[in-house]
Amino acid sequence: MSAPVLPPAAPVEREMPPENTSTQRTRWRSAGTHLTLTAFGILFLVPMLWLLLASVDANASWGLEWPHLSLVNFRNVLTGSLFHALWNSVVLSVVSTAIASITGVFAAYALSRRRIPFKTSLLMFILFSSGVPLAIMVIPVYEMFSRYNLLTIVPTAIFLSVTSLPFEVYLMKNFIDAVPGDLEEAARIEGASTFQVLRQVIVPNAMPGIAAASIFGFVNSWGSLVVPLILISPTDQQPAPIEIYTFLTLPKPEYGNIAAYSLVFCVPVFLLYAVSSRLFREGFVLGGGVKG
Amino acid sequence: MTVSTINADTVTGPDLAQLWKTRRDRERFQWSSLALMTPAFGLLAVLFLVPMGYAVYLGLTNLTLVGPDSVKWGFTGMANLIRLHQDTTFWTSLWVTAGFIGGSIVGVVVAGYWLASLLMRARPWMRVVVGGIVVVSWMMPAVTAGMTWYASTTQGGALGTLTGLHGTNFLDNWPLIVVTMANVWSMTGFSMLVMGAALRNVPSEAIEAAIVENASAWQRFRMIVLPLLRPTMIAVVLLTALLSLANFGLIYIMTQGGPGNATNILPLYSYQQAFSFNNLAYGALIGNVMVVIATVFGIFYVRVASPKS
Repeated sequence: MSAPVLPPAAPVEREMPPENTSTQRTRWRSAGTHLTLTAFGILFLVPMLWLLLASVDANASWGLEWPHLSLVNFRNVLTGSLFHALWNSVVLSVVSTAIASITGVFAAYALSRRRIPFKTSLLMFILFSSGVPLAIMVIPVYEMFSRYNLLTIVPTAIFLSVTSLPFEVYLMKNFIDAVPGDLEEAARIEGASTFQVLRQVIVPNAMPGIAAASIFGFVNSWGSLVVPLILISPTDQQPAPIEIYTFLTLPKPEYGNIAAYSLVFCVPVFLLYAVSSRLFREGFVLGGGVKG
Repeated sequence: MTVSTINADTVTGPDLAQLWKTRRDRERFQWSSLALMTPAFGLLAVLFLVPMGYAVYLGLTNLTLVGPDSVKWGFTGMANLIRLHQDTTFWTSLWVTAGFIGGSIVGVVVAGYWLASLLMRARPWMRVVVGGIVVVSWMMPAVTAGMTWYASTTQGGALGTLTGLHGTNFLDNWPLIVVTMANVWSMTGFSMLVMGAALRNVPSEAIEAAIVENASAWQRFRMIVLPLLRPTMIAVVLLTALLSLANFGLIYIMTQGGPGNATNILPLYSYQQAFSFNNLAYGALIGNVMVVIATVFGIFYVRVASPKS
């Protein structure tokens, strides 16, 4: 078969705009981009305004008003039971993060380096439970804990550690996978035990991943409302989210204090994200930004 | 029956493997692996798998939080399931959950993609300011986000002041829309970051070639960007669904499920039945419905996110 002979193609009249309209068009387009972005910025900023303004306003309300500048709200909320609740949040989050990160790094190492029967299924299980919010298990856990008088802060921290454990294992495994096997082999030849290999080779080399996983665990426990609400019964062990909710149930809300306390509650989260923004750029693309 | 004998001269590799069953060229199972895995998987078994199984049983009993049935309780068979089937509040709650999740998915995907693609073309200072605001709203813990959204949308709040509708209580008038917007507000940052990373991986040669071919902006999006972004978008959709399903804190602060049952998503209704109405078993059963929904999303998530696919 010979290809049909085509007549020479007629020169296509391409619309080639003159140089100046082309730059004009890009300029309009750029203006459109920046206008839309400004609109987005305002839309996302408006809900935050109250928090910022009311926190420094000595006589705040729900309204948006120019504040009577004062730090009295912050002074009020950083004392007494409110401060104690923040401390409880620290204890709850640190304990749960320590449990999840330490048990998690062992499991992540084994899943990364060892030959394990049903490894694919186990990894699927880990991935599945890292996506599914395990906090929905809270009612049966309440029933189990109440039977053994465990409705206190430490058992609650253990349950919270389980809710962040799968994602932590998944994240740490990915980082341990990237640690060169030669390093470990060299340590083995020198006679290092498994524990020594973990402590002196794996952990230092996978530190960014372990840090990112731990920050994820901390933020997850720090923000959780429903788990401590149900699982912690002594009032002096309750963390800050419960206090934030309690503010709303008071007959006369202290608007300024609510804003100041809510803002103070954000600070550790913001700091951790800021410190680790480089780690998170990798970590958060892999999984989800789960929060309580 | 003939017993096959192996001649040492003709034996080949595969035969040997057959003969010895275990291969010597691969690492074998070490017992220390079990010690490494036990703490984490033990915790997951005791506080995830056991409660999940226990909840299945619990959902079919008459356990209550207080009163005689909190001490002497037992299996009641289908009673709770029949009750669930006839419970109009449950069906309302299911629809509210669907609306909340569906609205959140649309908002998070559209706003996240739109912002990510705009920010790629924006000037650096604009990127820092707008990107920063959106990321801060994502980092904010759910209770704080709920609190500031409550203040902004209630009577006399910021939204009323800025729109000139001073007396309007937006939260009371359009509760489900407002809580869904709050949820979108608090999740868009995540979707923007993930989509931005995916967009940067779209080869610019492909876009330039399409421009040379006179493809319109819509064609470029449809034929080049969308197919390349599809796995990312599906992952964002599934994670938004799973995180929204569990976003108890945000709605509990803003409305506690009200007014009426307008924002009573399943986790709130489950909590309400278990701890306000004392029906612990019935609350667990509603929790099981959530587990089923989350499992469906979770299975799709594993298929999208597992490295093999």
